[in-house]
Amino acid sequence: MSKAKPTSEREGFDREIIRELADLLNETGLSEIEIEHEGLRVRVARAIQVFQAGVGAPATSLGSNASEALETHATQSATRPAEIHPGTVRSPMVGTAYRAPAPGAQAFVEVGQEVKQGQTLLIIEAMKTMNPIPAPSSGRVREIIVADAQPVEYDEPLMIIE
Amino acid sequence: MFDKILIANRGEIALRVLRACRELGISTVAVHSTADANAMHVRLADESVCIGPPSARDSYLNIPAIVAACEITGAEAVHPGYGFLAENARFAEILAEHGITFIGPSAEHIRMMGDKIEAKRTAQVLGIPVVPGSDGAVPDVAAALRLGAEIGYPVLIKASAGGGGRGMKVARGPEDMELAYRTAQSEAKSSFGDDAVYIEKFLGRPRHIEIQVFGDGQGHAVHLGERDCSLQRRHQKVWEEALSPALNASQREQIGERVATAMAKLGYSGAGTVEFLYESGEFYFIEMNTRLQVEHPVTEMITGLDLVQEQIRVAAGAKLPFSQKDITFSGHAIECRINAENPRSFAPSPGLVDAVHVPGGLGVRVDSALYAGYRIPPYYDSLIGKLIVFGKTRTECLMRLRRALGEYVIEGVETTIPLFQELLADPDIIDGRYNIHWLEQFLSRA
Repeated sequence: MSKAKPTSEREGFDREIIRELADLLNETGLSEIEIEHEGLRVRVARAIQVFQAGVGAPATSLGSNASEALETHATQSATRPAEIHPGTVRSPMVGTAYRAPAPGAQAFVEVGQEVKQGQTLLIIEAMKTMNPIPAPSSGRVREIIVADAQPVEYDEPLMIIE
Repeated sequence: MFDKILIANRGEIALRVLRACRELGISTVAVHSTADANAMHVRLADESVCIGPPSARDSYLNIPAIVAACEITGAEAVHPGYGFLAENARFAEILAEHGITFIGPSAEHIRMMGDKIEAKRTAQVLGIPVVPGSDGAVPDVAAALRLGAEIGYPVLIKASAGGGGRGMKVARGPEDMELAYRTAQSEAKSSFGDDAVYIEKFLGRPRHIEIQVFGDGQGHAVHLGERDCSLQRRHQKVWEEALSPALNASQREQIGERVATAMAKLGYSGAGTVEFLYESGEFYFIEMNTRLQVEHPVTEMITGLDLVQEQIRVAAGAKLPFSQKDITFSGHAIECRINAENPRSFAPSPGLVDAVHVPGGLGVRVDSALYAGYRIPPYYDSLIGKLIVFGKTRTECLMRLRRALGEYVIEGVETTIPLFQELLADPDIIDGRYNIHWLEQFLSRA
């Protein structure tokens, strides 16, 4: 589920570049890749999903918010399951994700592990504060999307629990 | 000098800051809400970080998210632009606690000027002329009546913590006082959570004239002339020009000198604007904005200075590279604020921008983050562009502005461009004969 965002508005550029970058994005788990070559600048980033009933979205803008959400969905392809998987755990804040409570310590969870609702999945450090990210529901860890010590943006997919 | 600056804003001002950084060889970090993922400031920045959902409270006003964004990108300084966190003293303090430079004045000065009563008291102490009025909060109606008699009616009752015209009421005579006082007080309470109000002389037909100042916090400060921002609707500036058609050189020098001396004495650092009402040759201090203003480009056009670059240099610890005698004013500049609004009803018009054609040519500057295919989100300010035009004389400037407005095309949303075209046909505008009520009267006539 990556979205091509060419800075150039021109049509007819090499679509292959974007496909290759999108694959690379999936492979590396990065949230964004940008290259500039011979005057062409291409950025591939993971799409950010706009929720129809987004928390904190002002009530007055509900109508257009909904239409934006529809459009965002329409532009997304089906290559990134994390974006649409109902068990996707997203980052509630900007910060640095850590998979273990201390450097060298055992990771909170591993792929395939059963977790209980409320169990800490990872921590996100923001403003020198460690914020534990609890499992929203019980289940099995299907995928861990972020690497240890990786900077994360708001709303970025962290893990999939199913 | 800084290597990397985070720009804690969006829209045209984020671009404005980004351009200054780029020219200084500083890399940029854009922050954005989920609604702004495709915004121009995000596309042009070297790095970007999504800091929250569309609501400004949870994104552009979210201090922890912005500090965390600095931490993960290694930004050494934050430029706040205008609005959002630009005049938030707490933000400046938190950044300092985290070893990040706030590009702006000290938290102390932000706080001092953010409190209207404190600001007025400080201005008075520094020798800046103020509107006659109460020394502080007025405790009750009886005190308000005594003051009304002393200052002379009409008087204005204003919220201490106020702004944007809320909590502001006029009493034309003693018979109006009780109602005006109580209304202002309850509006102040509901808008700002503080029912303190103060009283000052109400000026009938003043102009809004503001002095741009710049200090380095090391004892040096200069003034960069004035801007006339009298054309306002609901206390929102619509059109700004420099220099003011109402002032002559000696008046300019006098008020400018007074303000610059005051700022040097205060030890003020960075860009600031001291706003006045001007009537019958007298200046009356209204407030001081401790940040870059929306209308700063008109000053840049007539002084040749890049205010944002100067802000960055001063924040990095440099002394002012110029003194008052190095500042000269040449020509005339006008800025029109282009909003995504109906030009008559001023109803916001967010949505998809199908096509954009930006005017150009000698003496024309457009500061805008708009592009064809951009969807103006409904969550933020309706300002979508600033058209700034320079001319050797005011007449040349007006002619060029008319030409530039005719070239400016924004399709898909309604804009205020037609309003400016109408204004340019009015003899009062052509002659520079207007005050702060002129635009509202013009709009009610048409």
